[in-house]
Amino acid sequence: MGTFHDTADPLHGITVVAESGDTVYVGRCHARENGTILLLDVDQHTNGEDGKTNQEYLTRAARFGVWKKHEKLTLKADDVSGLSPLSDHFPRPGAKTAPVVETVAAAAPAPVAKELATLTADPVEAPVQLTEAAATEVRRLLETEEREGQGLRLAVSGGGCSGLVYKVEFDTQNEGDIVVSCEGFDVLMDRKSTIYLRGVTLDHQQGLSGRGFQFNNPNASNTCGCGESFSV
Amino acid sequence: MPYPEQMVAPMRAELTSAGVQELRTPSEVDSFFAQNSGTSLVLVNSVCGCAAGSARPALKSAIGENTRPDRVATVFAGQDLEATARARELFGDVPPSSPSMALIKDGELVHFVPRHMIEGRDALSIATDLTAAFAEYC
Repeated sequence: MGTFHDTADPLHGITVVAESGDTVYVGRCHARENGTILLLDVDQHTNGEDGKTNQEYLTRAARFGVWKKHEKLTLKADDVSGLSPLSDHFPRPGAKTAPVVETVAAAAPAPVAKELATLTADPVEAPVQLTEAAATEVRRLLETEEREGQGLRLAVSGGGCSGLVYKVEFDTQNEGDIVVSCEGFDVLMDRKSTIYLRGVTLDHQQGLSGRGFQFNNPNASNTCGCGESFSV
Repeated sequence: MPYPEQMVAPMRAELTSAGVQELRTPSEVDSFFAQNSGTSLVLVNSVCGCAAGSARPALKSAIGENTRPDRVATVFAGQDLEATARARELFGDVPPSSPSMALIKDGELVHFVPRHMIEGRDALSIATDLTAAFAEYC
């Protein structure tokens, strides 16, 4: 269990849009259990209210947030036709216009084995794996941000809800770093961090939750709901 | 109710050590915004490990780039209540959330990053978005 979190629901702490009939609810998802969805700091809007469609309301909400009408609100899961992060409704030029929506009643999909990028190093000195999706995103960022001479630094430090937090950033090589080549860029790790990074796979997701880089650590005994923090 | 100061001190220091000016009273907020021209970024800090734990390193990374706001400051939500409330008044009709970031140019809010665009994301992705905003407005 994390210090502050008592649930591993991947949507815990995420501001979501819950759709129920003509009404949409926007609030921070706290828990989904026993056929209910508990939201905190909740606003709600019914289609046509204040002269706005739900889509117009959500577009503004996604840009700035919402003014809460309820401290807490419990919805019956059976009454909710869709649940999606509010950030998926953020208007981006050229981005998808329809938000990714999770059908609440749908069964969780079976995990799919991710294709891994090829790392070049002595196996003893290469404690981490990168999925192809993560490697592709790193290459894209390196190219668009003109970070010549920099690599991807992975590190672990104290903090977060569960005691340890991952760090991922672009950096130049430091003395003593373990350096692993990965199809076009280097992965940099200080030796202390490799103690905690061994066995970890770095992934990159665009999906419903956990957008961005995501660490999958088979050695973590506890993980914060958002996956940013862990303990071993 | 504010958390014990010894608990939040490292969260303050993470920003101030990077040169971010901390505004702890309404008068400090007013002084910071008295200079109306140019660009200012204000991070509304938070004890939330999930979101602020990414927001702080993202801010530090983004302001390390060449194109950045003229001035960068922070207020601490839940800790320095009056200063935070005063800063939020200057954000206009934007619902309060923390952590969040406001980019102000010549006295006008031009870009806002609410909590829900921070939570569940890694610092690098947030920094990339911030850098894009800096490129547009700074």
